[in-house]
Amino acid sequence: MTLDQLQKGQPAKVLKITGKGAIRRRLMDMGLVRGVQVEMVKAAPMGDPVDYLVRGYHLSLRKSEAQMIEIDLC
Amino acid sequence: MAVTTMKIALAGNPNVGKSTIFNALTGSKQHVGNWPGKTVEKKEGHLFIEGQEVIVVDLPGTYSLTAYSIEEVISRDFIVHERPGVVVAVVDAVNLERNLYLVTQLLELEVPVIIALNMSDIAQSRGLTIDTSILSAQLSGVPVIKTIGTSGVGVDALKSAIHQLASPAIKQPVSIDYDPELEREIQLLEVEVRAIPELADKYLPRWLAIKLLEADEDITERLSHYSELLAQAEQAAERIEATTGDDAETLITDGRYGFINTVVSQALYRPQVAIETTSDKLDRILTHKYYGMPIFLLMMWLVFQMTANVSAPLLDWVDGIISGPITHWVSSLLGLVGLQGSWIASLLLDGVIPGVGGVLVFVPVLTTLYLAIGALEDSGYMARAAFVMDRVMRAMGLHGKSFLPMLVGFGCTVPAVYATRTLENESDRKLTGFLLTFMSCGARLPVYLVIGAAFFGAQSGNLIFGLYILGIVIALLTGWGLKKTVYRNKPPQPFVMELPPYRAPRLRDVWRQTWERTSEFVRKAGTVILLSTMVIWLLMAIPVRGEGEFNNVAPENSVFGVVSDVIAPVFAPAGFGTWQASGSLITGFVAKEVIVGTLSQIYVGEAETADVGIEPVPTLAEDIAFVGTSFVDTSILTAQEIVNIVPRTLNLVPFIHIPEADFLGTAGESEDTTALETALTQAFTPLAAAAFSVFILLYTPCMAVVAAMRQEFGKQFVFYQIAYTFGVAWLMAVIVYQGGLLLGFGG
Repeated sequence: MTLDQLQKGQPAKVLKITGKGAIRRRLMDMGLVRGVQVEMVKAAPMGDPVDYLVRGYHLSLRKSEAQMIEIDLC
Repeated sequence: MAVTTMKIALAGNPNVGKSTIFNALTGSKQHVGNWPGKTVEKKEGHLFIEGQEVIVVDLPGTYSLTAYSIEEVISRDFIVHERPGVVVAVVDAVNLERNLYLVTQLLELEVPVIIALNMSDIAQSRGLTIDTSILSAQLSGVPVIKTIGTSGVGVDALKSAIHQLASPAIKQPVSIDYDPELEREIQLLEVEVRAIPELADKYLPRWLAIKLLEADEDITERLSHYSELLAQAEQAAERIEATTGDDAETLITDGRYGFINTVVSQALYRPQVAIETTSDKLDRILTHKYYGMPIFLLMMWLVFQMTANVSAPLLDWVDGIISGPITHWVSSLLGLVGLQGSWIASLLLDGVIPGVGGVLVFVPVLTTLYLAIGALEDSGYMARAAFVMDRVMRAMGLHGKSFLPMLVGFGCTVPAVYATRTLENESDRKLTGFLLTFMSCGARLPVYLVIGAAFFGAQSGNLIFGLYILGIVIALLTGWGLKKTVYRNKPPQPFVMELPPYRAPRLRDVWRQTWERTSEFVRKAGTVILLSTMVIWLLMAIPVRGEGEFNNVAPENSVFGVVSDVIAPVFAPAGFGTWQASGSLITGFVAKEVIVGTLSQIYVGEAETADVGIEPVPTLAEDIAFVGTSFVDTSILTAQEIVNIVPRTLNLVPFIHIPEADFLGTAGESEDTTALETALTQAFTPLAAAAFSVFILLYTPCMAVVAAMRQEFGKQFVFYQIAYTFGVAWLMAVIVYQGGLLLGFGG
């Protein structure tokens, strides 16, 4: 499944970042690499973007960006 | 004695208190400018460590040193090509893992690095314990200094570490355990790089090999004529992907973060269960599903009130002093030296002084804007504003952070241009800047009011409301159109944004930034504004029709009049092809509110006849008293505006009406424009007047905006902006007029 489908309270781990180019680069730079834990915190009032907890800090991603991240529930 | 100056750089992620450390290191000896050819702010400062002068360059805040943004390229180029003696990496102790990512990249560049472990007090309060000696040992001996930027803790230790590290340059090779296959290819490629002496001279071979395997855009572009090397790198990357099943980019990032995990697992202790912070609690309210949006709108409304109303009395005060006492004094001085009435006097009184005034009136509004923005950014709310608003703004092809500049634009476009600085990405910034001028600024309102009162009576409100909406619609369409054309081939800009923890804004830093940015405006944009005012004065002073003499000529006989006359036919299809109309539009380039003045000067002719000579000139004592008493009034009015934010805000709620405070009993006073209204009804048809209003709404912004845009976005941008706004304004005015004629509103 991909990160945009992750529900609140479900712990998950990153499997892979798909896509290419600047966005992918940026996602990896921000610490979203294989094996890292992610947690969904909350969605913005209009449902998008979404606030995630990664490596102890809050990172907000648009759903279209979260879709590039493959995850596994754990 | 030749003392060598040393250059050091300050690097770090955004929101880690880097500017606080910079200020603590350099004190007041700072210089703010832009990076050459870029719209990114560059700060430089000096300090002395044991008698040696050290220049500190504050690199833009970045998360990484890839070629992801101009900020990253700037930082990287500086380190690669200028080789600073030391790079101080400001690291947020609360957020060690992600912050160390930048550090690993700095270490790969083999520059001497010192880690300033900032906000260690906050880390402690969250139960995080960092063992600095283990951290240092894990990073092969990089000095780690705990700092608390806000209280200056650790700054002296940092200075002595800089001194020690810089004296004999120590190299600290750090070995990151990359995937063996990747490592093998890095080494092979490194050999190839070493074989090209001019590259090996300029870059670190290993670093360049890694960048080539990452297919770093900036590097591949710069090395485009080394096609053989690029081909080898490409083949290497393919081999890596074939054997490992992963691309080089992924393996490199994995390697760096893997290294960081090892470091952090030894040096950092964190509690089993994360403590819920005040910041998290605040966030539950501020970005709440239902309250989030209203809170956001309220915050923006407050910023708008601050820039549009609270600064207004101060602005009037500055304006009053310049057009009053200062003008009198200069005039008297000129009289003393026998120059009164000469063209020099006129140049000074009508050209230079109003020009200086035209620059200074923006100082109060910019100061308030920068204070408000600084507080929003420093507190961490700005990122939430973007988070809450992004979905809406994206429909226009904009970023969540574009909302604030757009809103400020309804007050004044000049601060709005500077408000685009909150956007990290250059293309977002430029697109927002391009659309800003369609948000009808406060200075255009008096023009609508006069026209509305003269032609539309009770319908005046609808005209004005319609104009504001039209401006927004044009901005939407333009944004959409640019997305489909100019930005069509550009990849979508990622949103990927950190939501930093909330904290109290550090007022000293906010104030310092406000001061720097405002004085930068006066220096840079000020020159352009001053020059333009003088050019307009000159145009109005030179006679061309053989009537009048230099500096004593009726407007229609000056160069200004002739130019207006020549361009007038351009506006004929829009129904206002007279020299009077086009003349007022030209002066509207000086400032939009001048349009009303010009119209009344030309049509009614009452203005400016009762000039300084006829009025009794106030004495020096009276003038000084005026400055004093008017300042007292200004302070009272400023207080009044601050108080009035409350009723104005509550009055937004339907059925609530709270009267606004009126401390001096001067509210509701306005200039008498009935004579002008009567004159206008004879000169324009109602339809032409509507077309004229539409033109004023959309056309070329005033010179202060042009100067600000030139400073922020460059000359080329300004050229397109002026051409586009003029074109759209003309087209829409013509559509309104011709369309109205067709529909039978021609009377």
